[in-house]
Amino acid sequence: MNSVLEGKYAVTMDMYPLQSKDFNRIYPFYDNLKQGRLTTTRCLRCAKVAFPPRVVCPDCLSDTLEWVDLPTRGKVLVVTEEEVGVPLGFETPLIHALIDLDGSLTLFARVINCKMGDLQEGDQVKLVIFSVDPLPVEGKKGAVILQERVFFAFEKAYPQE
Amino acid sequence: MRNVCIIAGGQSQWGVRNATQRDMFQEAGKACFDDNPAVTNKDIDGLIVGSAYTERCSFQTHLAPLVAEYLGIKPKNICARVELLCATGSSGIILAYAMIKSGEADVVMVVGGEKLYTPQKWEIGYSELASVDHDWDGAMGLGLPPSVFAAVAIQHMKLYGTTEEQMALVSVKNRRNGMNNVKGQFREEITLATAMEARAIVRPLKLYDCCPVTDGAAAVILAVEEKARYMTDKPLVYIRGTGQATLHNMSANFSNWTTWESLQIAAQQAYRKARIKPQDIDVAQTHDCFTISEIIEYEELGFCQKGEGGFFIQEGHSDFGGRVPVNTDGGLLSCGHPFAATGIRQATEIMRQLRGDAARQVEGARIGLTHNLSGFIAAHTVVIYGRDLE
Repeated sequence: MNSVLEGKYAVTMDMYPLQSKDFNRIYPFYDNLKQGRLTTTRCLRCAKVAFPPRVVCPDCLSDTLEWVDLPTRGKVLVVTEEEVGVPLGFETPLIHALIDLDGSLTLFARVINCKMGDLQEGDQVKLVIFSVDPLPVEGKKGAVILQERVFFAFEKAYPQE
Repeated sequence: MRNVCIIAGGQSQWGVRNATQRDMFQEAGKACFDDNPAVTNKDIDGLIVGSAYTERCSFQTHLAPLVAEYLGIKPKNICARVELLCATGSSGIILAYAMIKSGEADVVMVVGGEKLYTPQKWEIGYSELASVDHDWDGAMGLGLPPSVFAAVAIQHMKLYGTTEEQMALVSVKNRRNGMNNVKGQFREEITLATAMEARAIVRPLKLYDCCPVTDGAAAVILAVEEKARYMTDKPLVYIRGTGQATLHNMSANFSNWTTWESLQIAAQQAYRKARIKPQDIDVAQTHDCFTISEIIEYEELGFCQKGEGGFFIQEGHSDFGGRVPVNTDGGLLSCGHPFAATGIRQATEIMRQLRGDAARQVEGARIGLTHNLSGFIAAHTVVIYGRDLE
């Protein structure tokens, strides 16, 4: 490679969000995620719980919000298994499910640790958190600081768990 | 308010192109001017350019002035880019229409296109992660997501009994229609067996249920009626009504994916403005990004009852000779889908059908409709064209 970009990190090519306090006002979501909690923002004025979390209430436009926990287990409504043409960074089959999180929210989310045909409508799934590529941030005097990052998916849960 | 006509349309060759984005914008502009020699680049006072992936795949912003310069257009009016992913083209047409109707502009060209194939194939699939809500759905591996439409299909099959064979019939029809389109990506007929036996992409969607990735561009010219009369010797085609509505940009908080409420709203707006009913449509180009999409579009556009879209294709109602021929030039499934160009290609085909000079003509067509979908089933855009104003 003779690219001037060799060895350089380009945020425009990063598939994961910027998560730290330096770059994102909803950083508590990711801090909570690291502790196994799926959280979002609730409006202190009108009580609207919105997902994804945000800095302004989409109903009453208040900017006074608090963090609340969402259920981490849900029921599968629909399963899809993508066999061809998945984006770089994901493996085939790329499995997604429409998940009902205990009646509070539906999500179309990735399901990992799962083989083709393993997941069925009606199954229970639970939150799973994993590390993703750390974010290289320029520090003083050319130093590069790596900020740890995480993301989430779901995996099949069994009744005894 | 003034009346607005569509007076020219054309497209570049679509497919996997050995050409840059700017090459194809020039080809589309030329094809559009060649369609109507009575209007030239010197007559255009406004230019709206559409491209969704111009930064991502061509590393280019400030695109409208670039296209103006290449096409020899010197806009003394609007010269700007518009973007609504797969519905960019129709959005550009609605904006040009509003400007002309209100008196802000007289003659506006709308051109849209994409160069999606980069020298390394991973780039397009990766860039797709910018198309949905990047930080949430993108990070879940949803790009231009066949998985989403597979989930739509699974729910529609369960609720209404729609079958994989009915979906395959959409693809068979559109591939057959596309054989007439010399500038489309595919010009090969397929059989029902070929469609049914094709490899799975994400079940129940198989290869021919999904539109391809496409390079290409297309252009149309809109003009105020008074000038249009001097700018074409072909029958005048009017824009009669437009509608656009947007709900649910991302996957969260949305559990029944088979009812496309934003399409119902957009269609009702457009029908009301055009003062017509769904039964008045003689020919339609709808957004068949996946076969299930076209089936649900029959329902939400009011061509049939909710849940009966599968029977509508099966009984031939959307084919030539049926109640309302749909995707007469091949649709996205056969022509391909360079995002920003698709709505413009649809407008060109409807213009030709209403002028009476289409490659394969719906006899006597006087009212036509285009429908463009974008994102996660989120935004729907409907434009109604007519030979008559009433």
